[in-house]
Amino acid sequence: MTHLNLKISQGEFVAIMGENGASKSTICQMLNGIIPNSIGGRLSGQVLIHGLNTKETGISELATKVGIVLEDPETQLFTTSVKAEVAFGPENLSLPPDEIEERVAWALKTVRLNGYEERLPSSLSGGQKQRLAIAANIAMRPDILVLDEATSQLDPVGVEEVLSVVRELNQKYGMTILMATDASEMIARLMDRVVVLNQGQLEADGTPIQIFANTALFNKLMIRSPQVSQLATLLKNEGHPLPTFPITVPEASDGLQTLLEGTTPAPIDPVKPAVYGSRELAIQVEHLDYIYQPLDVHAVKDVSFEIRQGEFVALIGQNGSGKTTVLKNLLGLLRPTSGKVIVAGQDTKITAVAEMARHVGFVLQNPDQQLFAETVEEEVAYGPKNLKLAKELIEQRVAEALKLVGLENKREEFPPAMPKGDRAKVVIASALALDPSIIILDEPTTGQDYRGCHQIMQIAQSLHEQGRTVVFVTHHMALVAEYAQRVIVLSGGKVLLDDVTEGIFAKPDVVRQACIIPPQITELGQALPAGMGLPRNPLTVQTMSAAILNRFDQKFLATPSHSTLRV
Amino acid sequence: MSSLIAYYPGNTLFHKLDPRAKIIFMVILSMAIFAVQQIPVALVVLAVMLCLWFVARLPFSVLWSFIKVLLPIIGFLFLVQAVFYPGNTPLIKPLIPIGRGYGQVTLEGILFAVLLALRLMAMIIMLPLVNFTTPVQIFALGMVKMGLPYRLAYTMTTALNLVPILQGETSVIVDAQRLRAMQSFEKGTLVEKLKAYPALVTPLVIGSMRRAQLMAVAMDSRAFGASKSRTYLEDIRLHVGDWVFICLTVAFTIGIIVASYVM
Repeated sequence: MTHLNLKISQGEFVAIMGENGASKSTICQMLNGIIPNSIGGRLSGQVLIHGLNTKETGISELATKVGIVLEDPETQLFTTSVKAEVAFGPENLSLPPDEIEERVAWALKTVRLNGYEERLPSSLSGGQKQRLAIAANIAMRPDILVLDEATSQLDPVGVEEVLSVVRELNQKYGMTILMATDASEMIARLMDRVVVLNQGQLEADGTPIQIFANTALFNKLMIRSPQVSQLATLLKNEGHPLPTFPITVPEASDGLQTLLEGTTPAPIDPVKPAVYGSRELAIQVEHLDYIYQPLDVHAVKDVSFEIRQGEFVALIGQNGSGKTTVLKNLLGLLRPTSGKVIVAGQDTKITAVAEMARHVGFVLQNPDQQLFAETVEEEVAYGPKNLKLAKELIEQRVAEALKLVGLENKREEFPPAMPKGDRAKVVIASALALDPSIIILDEPTTGQDYRGCHQIMQIAQSLHEQGRTVVFVTHHMALVAEYAQRVIVLSGGKVLLDDVTEGIFAKPDVVRQACIIPPQITELGQALPAGMGLPRNPLTVQTMSAAILNRFDQKFLATPSHSTLRV
Repeated sequence: MSSLIAYYPGNTLFHKLDPRAKIIFMVILSMAIFAVQQIPVALVVLAVMLCLWFVARLPFSVLWSFIKVLLPIIGFLFLVQAVFYPGNTPLIKPLIPIGRGYGQVTLEGILFAVLLALRLMAMIIMLPLVNFTTPVQIFALGMVKMGLPYRLAYTMTTALNLVPILQGETSVIVDAQRLRAMQSFEKGTLVEKLKAYPALVTPLVIGSMRRAQLMAVAMDSRAFGASKSRTYLEDIRLHVGDWVFICLTVAFTIGIIVASYVM
């Protein structure tokens, strides 16, 4: 981080955006003095909180000024009851027990966890854990609350829970809120100000509208603007700007109606029923039940579906809906309590995991849970070596896998020291080196920035184009809409919906039961009045913009089926 | 499913004991267990531990999972003791006579291995008995009231709690590597198993370091260690029941030692 100047006033609700490596976490940890007081580093210049220099102020004093909530809920909860967790900070401040009681009660009420006092923090949902972390911080009565990617591991419901609490803290108590996040639709809806960082420097600073309308900024940096803003930019570039630049659905809907006034709706081609995949079955799940012992948790109930070779399927659902359990059953890591799972012709109940690995490649959510080798090359060769393949074949497989993920020039690098996006690619290459016909990715984009997300999904897409079956799990609905052909929605351990992607988002009410919110561009299509002659359930910004531009000029008819984003 | 913090909430007599009573129980009994020299005494100790496990209503399936982890170690102990323990009652003729009773399976060797296995099992039941029934913050408070500095007490309890976290983390890593066709942990030879270790240990160590650093950030932001005289929301007091338990523990320990050296 170099020469950063930033002033934030009491009561502001500020988003910090930037690519990975833009120093978002650094600035978060500087605010409460963890940098440079606990973690080393050279700090020139100063960070002043209410005029107090963080370098010279004690941790306890700063802790009463600035609270911080981190990305991973597990690392910030260390006691065995909700109440003890919230009391931890005030106890450290040596407050009298009566006052601690009072503060605990207030903090828990504010985050709506009153009634949970005696619960084990580890038994809470993701959204509840993050709210508990907020309570534990606000019990110290800070003026400023920093959330460092605190919603990025949560499902949409968890995100909403945390946001409503944070907004109340801002509005009711005038607390200053700083959130490092790339959830631009949420920023557009809630925040006063956006600060964009680039490689440790201030790139832009303004209101959400000023920032999202700044085309030059978005050409320079790979950060996400709301989909309606992306649409407005595309239209503007073609000479059809909306009257006012939109950042939310109602703004875009009004603007489009004005723009299209007087043009005649062109007939839209009816969506052709798509047939995906070949005839050959890749995955067959019949009446799968799974019960975790010893606690007798019935995680998956009578789940059945078939996936054909060559399909590109998204598996979505709230945390705790049974996604992970289904995945583990597909991989042979768990054996069905009852029912049948056949993957690539193998009955997972009787097939060894190492044998399954020949057919199914698995990409773990957190790359750091499997990287161990000293070079990329060695890491990728690990699987084929375990299969005791011939040396030439191993070399060939490693070369192919690295080429597929675009790491052929980084063979000698040390994986743990690579940037997060590259670490994910090493993990994908490691799975590909076994040349599986099926690839399963478990939340592969968690913790990745916009560029990383699309790079990973484009690799998945190229694997799909080679004829491999791709199944991925994600909370990121824009990615589902853009890449998946078919979606299976799980809810409460059961299959709620199983349909082509267009079909899924065409039923927003049913999808909301599984606590899933369609992408913003689909919401725009659904919000427009009927008879506008625009797609009802557009999946991508490109589809929508092509349909609109078509009204002015027929050449835009050809709609790209997938993202043409350059990454 | 592994829980992050190994605490099983409950309302049993054992849960209600003062943490100091449980710490005394843990410390003096673990010393006593090492003093046990006779199989019947070891059996009695083991039976008492099992009864307490039952009293605390802890799940027996968890106990069984511990025993399963121990089985290979017990097997190894049997092998070593059977071969190397000097004894006079040979059961099986030695394959390679080494001399002076070494290298042959003797009754004394087997009995000694049984004793070791019982002691090991008693220990492995006793430690979680305390850890699983005491919330971390209460455990730390107990240590502070016994005179330990707060930071040290808290660091020790946190370390105890890292064990289940690392267990969970290890199983994720093992699964990830199994899905890369690693089979050494299921059917490999000892050499293959040793060779496979870096693939587990490296991600485990790197992950733990990252986790520790983030935990420190979270603790600092909640003023951990801000002052030496910290207050406590919950207070603990030694009740009559706790004193009875401590007396019983001391009496039981003396009984074990007397039985071991006098009998």
